[in-house]
Amino acid sequence: MIGETLVLGRRALTKWVRNPFAVIVTSIQALFWLALFGNSFNPANAFSSTSGGSLGPLQQAFGGAPNYITYLAPGVIGLVALTGMSFMGVDLVFDRINGYLDTLRAFPIPRTSIYFGGVVQNIAKGMVAAPITFALALVIPDGLRLTPGFGVLNLIGVFGVVALLTAVFATFFTGIAISVKSTDSFFAAVNFLTFPFMFTSSAFFPLSFFPGWLKPLAQANPITLASDAMRLLILNSTLSTPQVQALLGDLAGMSVIGVLFVALGMAMARNALKAR
Amino acid sequence: MTNMVEVEGLSKSFPPSTKVVAGVSFSVREGEVFSLLGPNGAGKTTTIRMLTTLTSITEGKAMVGGHDVSKDPGAVRNLIGVVPQDVTLDNELKGIENLLLSAKLHHVPNAVATKRATDLLHLVDLDESMGNRVSTYSGGMKRRLQLVTALVHEPRILFLDEPTVGLDIQTRTRIWDYIRQLNRERGLTIFMTTHYLEEADQLSDIVAIMDHGGIRVSGPPSDLKASLHGDVLTISIDGGGNDLVDFLRSIPNVTEVTRVDHSYRLKLPKVESALPEIITGVASRGLKIIETSFSKPTLDQVFLEVTGRSMRDAEESNGNHDRFGTVHARETR
Repeated sequence: MIGETLVLGRRALTKWVRNPFAVIVTSIQALFWLALFGNSFNPANAFSSTSGGSLGPLQQAFGGAPNYITYLAPGVIGLVALTGMSFMGVDLVFDRINGYLDTLRAFPIPRTSIYFGGVVQNIAKGMVAAPITFALALVIPDGLRLTPGFGVLNLIGVFGVVALLTAVFATFFTGIAISVKSTDSFFAAVNFLTFPFMFTSSAFFPLSFFPGWLKPLAQANPITLASDAMRLLILNSTLSTPQVQALLGDLAGMSVIGVLFVALGMAMARNALKAR
Repeated sequence: MTNMVEVEGLSKSFPPSTKVVAGVSFSVREGEVFSLLGPNGAGKTTTIRMLTTLTSITEGKAMVGGHDVSKDPGAVRNLIGVVPQDVTLDNELKGIENLLLSAKLHHVPNAVATKRATDLLHLVDLDESMGNRVSTYSGGMKRRLQLVTALVHEPRILFLDEPTVGLDIQTRTRIWDYIRQLNRERGLTIFMTTHYLEEADQLSDIVAIMDHGGIRVSGPPSDLKASLHGDVLTISIDGGGNDLVDFLRSIPNVTEVTRVDHSYRLKLPKVESALPEIITGVASRGLKIIETSFSKPTLDQVFLEVTGRSMRDAEESNGNHDRFGTVHARETR
């Protein structure tokens, strides 16, 4: 099972290394969120008196972030994981259309290894985008400002959170990709499903701005959990006990969602790959 | 010899349409080349897909290598190699990478896999291009690669769905040579579908003629052809009349004589055995043979005999369905 998964994952990665266009474009897309959205929707624009992009009276609501991009960057890393994972499963749709999936179905391999092969390769691709996004946020004007004590552990923590979030979305969207029969339905499904994740998250604005009915949903959104976790690690060199508890809560939440998505994805894969 | 494939009352329906495969039964012995011959839309691809665990069985039973296809598909997958109708290689991988991928997914140890892959690529004359990406291959090269990709784990039975469809005649004969070689030298059991009469005739030990989801007749190609009671001999004779017809009818084994002007058409099992008697008989009557021609029976005639239409007509009438997509849907599911 693990062997087959890795063989299939490697197949996709070999192809990707030879043709890295999609992965690179997805990674650079983050620039639009940071430089364009980050400036046009910057709440600091409302306070002409503040200088240096400071959030002024809103700083507290934005988790103490020194400027908006610092608040936004973890959210954008989460969004890139979402959009990247949603579209990269398209390989599996093409495998189905050109018959490769049938070839695999006649092989003596567990049906779920086809699913996990897709998950593994998507996570690997997704992990390329995160450092690029992180670096872009740091270099743009009025960009991401790390806490002065930001160290290796903070950095490892941030990318650990990204890896978990990427896995959550990879398990979900690979299940979708393996189930749809055509590229049309794939893109329709992906578009339909990404927006709710995007707009019910704390990626752009803190949950305190949300109406009451939306808050519980937004709180359970994996992007919210991941962005909040990353913000704790970016804005604080050392964490207080409540902050550690909050971080662990975020990680636990993502893990629970991930386990549910894996179960869902495996069921979808078994159903989509069985003989009819 | 044991049976590699045993099929009993096998049926497939895709609701709400009628049965695509309607209760077929046959068996394939180990080491045999077995062909399902029939027009497009006859149910051949659906049959092969059921035997290779890709399509579920509606009714009946299929055993491959002693394993029940429905109950133990995993065991069946270990024994089979499948070459689908359309090329399903990974275009972005190199030729040899496609082969090694298949080997790894069939749990062939790495060292063995590399050796086998190189040998197989040599067999189909792809040694030189094995390091190139498949996207640079011609159609014929892809087909050859696809063929050996299904062999790298040394299956006990190879399933080929229309192995030469759409190929030029040269490439086609080459693929035939490989198939023969695999069967003769390695004793590989081969199950194939085809709508090329010549392909079925040339390669098969057993041909089963399929039409409208059912097998109409099956047996060795020579037996099937012989069942038509033989050859047709046409002789044109200067002079002669009804007494000549009587003489021709009197020759042993001649089953039918028809006369149109100077031309006499005889049906008999084997032209060669009766020819001397005909010639001396005609000569002794002082008549002269102007022209002779004879034809051996073909599988097309067998098809005509059992289905009431020629393969080409069957293709065309099914082709009409294809415009509405029904046949296509059947064939690809």
